[in-house]
Amino acid sequence: MTQFLSLLLNGISLGAMYALIALGFVIIFKASEVVSFTHGSLLLLGAYSIARLSEPLGFLLAAVVGIAITALAAFVIERVIINRLRGAAVISLAIVTIGVDIILLTELIRRIGSDILNVPHPWAGGSVRVGDVGISENRLIAIAVAAVLIGLFFAAFKYSNWGIAMRASAEDGETAALMGIKQGRVSALAWVVAGVLAAVAALFLVGSPTPGVSPSTYAVALRAFPAAILGGLDSTGGALVGGLLIGIAEAMAAGYQDQLLFLGRGFSAVVPFIVMIAVLMFRPSGLFGTKELTRV
Amino acid sequence: MSAPGAAIDVRSDVPPVQVEDVTVRFGAITALSGVSFTVEPGTIHAIIGPNGAGKSTMFNVLSGVYKAAEGQVRFGEHRLDRMRPYKIAGIGVARAFQNIALSAGQSVAENLMLGRHHLTKAGFIAAGLRLPLATREGKLHGARVAEIADFLELGEKLHTPVGVLSYGDQKRVEVARALCTEPRLLLLDEPVAGMNAEETHRMAEAILEIRAGLGISVILVEHDMGMVMSLADRVTVLDFGRRIADGTPAEVQRDPEVIRAYLGSGDEIDPSEAAEAAAAGASSSETPGMPS
Amino acid sequence: MSESTLTEAPGAHPSGVGRPAPAGRRRSWLRPLLLVLGLVVMLALPLYVEEFWLRTGFAAAGAIVGAIGLNLLVGTSGQLSLAHAFFLAVGAVSYVYVSGEPGGLGVAELGGLGLPPIIGMIVGVLLAGLAGLLFSPLAARLRGIYLGVASLALVFIGVHVLNSWTEVTGGFNGRSAPEFSLFGFTFGNRDPELYVLEVPFREAERLWYLGLVLALAAYLFARNILRSRPGRALQTLRDSEVAASVMGVNVQGYKARIFLVSSMYAGLAGVMYALSIGSIAPESFGLELSILYLAMIVLGGLGSVNGAVLGAIFVSALPLVFQRYADLIPFVGGGGLAAGEAARFLFGAAIVLVILFEPAGLAGIANRIAGRFRRPGGRVTEHPPDTPTRTSEPSPSDPPAQGSTT
Repeated sequence: MTQFLSLLLNGISLGAMYALIALGFVIIFKASEVVSFTHGSLLLLGAYSIARLSEPLGFLLAAVVGIAITALAAFVIERVIINRLRGAAVISLAIVTIGVDIILLTELIRRIGSDILNVPHPWAGGSVRVGDVGISENRLIAIAVAAVLIGLFFAAFKYSNWGIAMRASAEDGETAALMGIKQGRVSALAWVVAGVLAAVAALFLVGSPTPGVSPSTYAVALRAFPAAILGGLDSTGGALVGGLLIGIAEAMAAGYQDQLLFLGRGFSAVVPFIVMIAVLMFRPSGLFGTKELTRV
Repeated sequence: MSAPGAAIDVRSDVPPVQVEDVTVRFGAITALSGVSFTVEPGTIHAIIGPNGAGKSTMFNVLSGVYKAAEGQVRFGEHRLDRMRPYKIAGIGVARAFQNIALSAGQSVAENLMLGRHHLTKAGFIAAGLRLPLATREGKLHGARVAEIADFLELGEKLHTPVGVLSYGDQKRVEVARALCTEPRLLLLDEPVAGMNAEETHRMAEAILEIRAGLGISVILVEHDMGMVMSLADRVTVLDFGRRIADGTPAEVQRDPEVIRAYLGSGDEIDPSEAAEAAAAGASSSETPGMPS
Repeated sequence: MSESTLTEAPGAHPSGVGRPAPAGRRRSWLRPLLLVLGLVVMLALPLYVEEFWLRTGFAAAGAIVGAIGLNLLVGTSGQLSLAHAFFLAVGAVSYVYVSGEPGGLGVAELGGLGLPPIIGMIVGVLLAGLAGLLFSPLAARLRGIYLGVASLALVFIGVHVLNSWTEVTGGFNGRSAPEFSLFGFTFGNRDPELYVLEVPFREAERLWYLGLVLALAAYLFARNILRSRPGRALQTLRDSEVAASVMGVNVQGYKARIFLVSSMYAGLAGVMYALSIGSIAPESFGLELSILYLAMIVLGGLGSVNGAVLGAIFVSALPLVFQRYADLIPFVGGGGLAAGEAARFLFGAAIVLVILFEPAGLAGIANRIAGRFRRPGGRVTEHPPDTPTRTSEPSPSDPPAQGSTT
């Protein structure tokens, strides 16, 4: 039971970070109809920048600048490439983000090499125990930060001009445009927000119990894709639920890996994808995604 | 071309279309509520109404794209409301889309050959290996496709990609593709929208000739009142998802509720003007009058 | 309306004679001549070219087969799939297991059926197809973009299985692939020793011909499909699923079947990959391979079989060429970029540029160049029938109401 609770807590923490990444994925889709395969390398960019800047700038400033760099990169991608392709087929847009991903990822991996870059979190490797249930401080702080960010995000999405404009353009782009909503601006802001969320997730993903930033951080980011899909690509609430679900499932599989050994070592890394497939079998548009209404 | 009032040879295997109490909802919105009408075999039946009246929704129900929440649609022994779209095509119901839904990169001939899909059999293996079945089939059906293209004045453009054709030509390809399925019931969704007067006139003639030559039923959604009044044997008028009138063109034109619907909605069409246009059209050219 | 009248077709079977079928286009004599010439050059190449190019050629042939298969799925039918590497893996592993000999390798005990390689190849294709068939009900139900992400799952699951199922796959070390042979003729260095015009025909030379035959067969099969009934159905469902289904196409059925066909192509490509490298290893079949295949078809031109061929040659040969001529190419080798990195940068940039500026890819560029050489005032349009227009910006000649047909 103790083990279960501990795994649950760790799963929620992991899930909170997946949810941040998945939220970005979803708002980009809502704002610009793009399924961004660049998201994995954006996250790695955030992690890399924070790690590299920590030495000269100190952790706090490095985190801020790293997040800003990631947001800026997302902004540039949107302005330079995505914005020019407005109205193109969804599949072309997805492919173009894969192209960007290849470039960014190749450069980052080249720079990281075979190293593991350490991010000097002030909370370092400490851990907290509540009774017998243990979790690393890093993961605990991650839950708190993610909760605040997600709360802020949903508030902004509901009440701010940007949120309203964004929901309007996701609902009906043409009408929103007629009402004076600048889709370009909505889309650019969505990319920036997604970049920030990904970088914040990166900040915690590379902390304890993970050793640091390495090319495999990218693989972690990829596991957030199933979170967005199984929640429903166009559902922000779905991203949250999907993230938690994936995080918990993965943590459980990792925790009980001795019992799951017949499925092979490292099975937990595949669990998010298996959960996604299982959900899509029954709900092809995800748990909360809207079915597309065909208009002819 | 059929002379006014000429007797039409109705194909014996064309059953009536019976739409009974069809209701369609999208979430909280009711797009059609309790709509009924019957299309007699071999007639041209028009569905008209202001924008948003539910005409296209009705077409989507007839072709199986939308499912009716209530009511049923019969076509002979078939229940169209329970069938998937491709099965509906298989029993001889064809549709020309309002917004052109052709493959722009493919030639006219290839787009038309798609109409032969349910009449042909070649699968991946037969086609990939060019088995005799596939090549023979291609030749046979190619000939008929060319015939239909000629009929709609597309013979010269068979090998032109659809994307570079004029708008009017594309609309004709839409109709031709529907005809290529050898339908018993032809659904035409605004076949002359965006066409000029000359093109409209020729399309009207073609529709009459299709009905006369093939003896099939035609259901027509159209905004061009002149065309509707001169072509249709019967007219169903929808407004806000309800049927507000159903009868011959003359009856419908006099219907006070129809007049109210059109005037009240601020729609661009005034039925009295439309009637004049129809009358003018009928007298000034060889456009056939209403077959009675 | 016109001079011609329309009459009912006799039953479902239209009158036989009439004008030639629309598929029969006028062809110039130039094209077949060029084809024959090209084929002769290809056949004679092993007599003149060194081993490196022949090996690169066989690798490219495998990539051609795989890229054609992926293009049928993504380009022709509009189903984005990143699972291609998985199906390649199924083909490669099946071949290695079915035709490999059982034996021990250190701690790992390897299984193997030791059947003739041709059986291994066929089983590889069939099992890849079966894997595709099992996934296809899901693939057919998913909207294009959901499929794109869902298909990621297969790649990760595939790599996991490759790492774990040691008895079959050799685990993370991988295992070697048996030489190909056909009716006693080995595609290796001997059995029999072979000289043609005093040039020794060893493994590289023999595999070159195998690659040529397989790639050509894959090419013709795909072209035939595209030009006939199933191809038309697929292209229409890419452009509008509603239109396709209303015209009588069983959309789900076709999506499932093209998934099957595409994964069989991938299976064959996987077998050829194993033969080309001489062994298989889990990391070869990761997401990166799927993305490389996507790069091939995007660069070549989505929906075009010729494009898939060009793209496959470009993407598969470039890293090898970079590696070999690293000293001659600026920025590559020495203190600069590694060959693989340079190639990846190039692919990434090329994908972005192609989508932005030339959605028809290399095939589109080739067509345009070919168009220059034709008489001006000839046929106005030189789109091949399989060039997609979906991805392009609306051209000025597009009619006004066309944007809203989705």
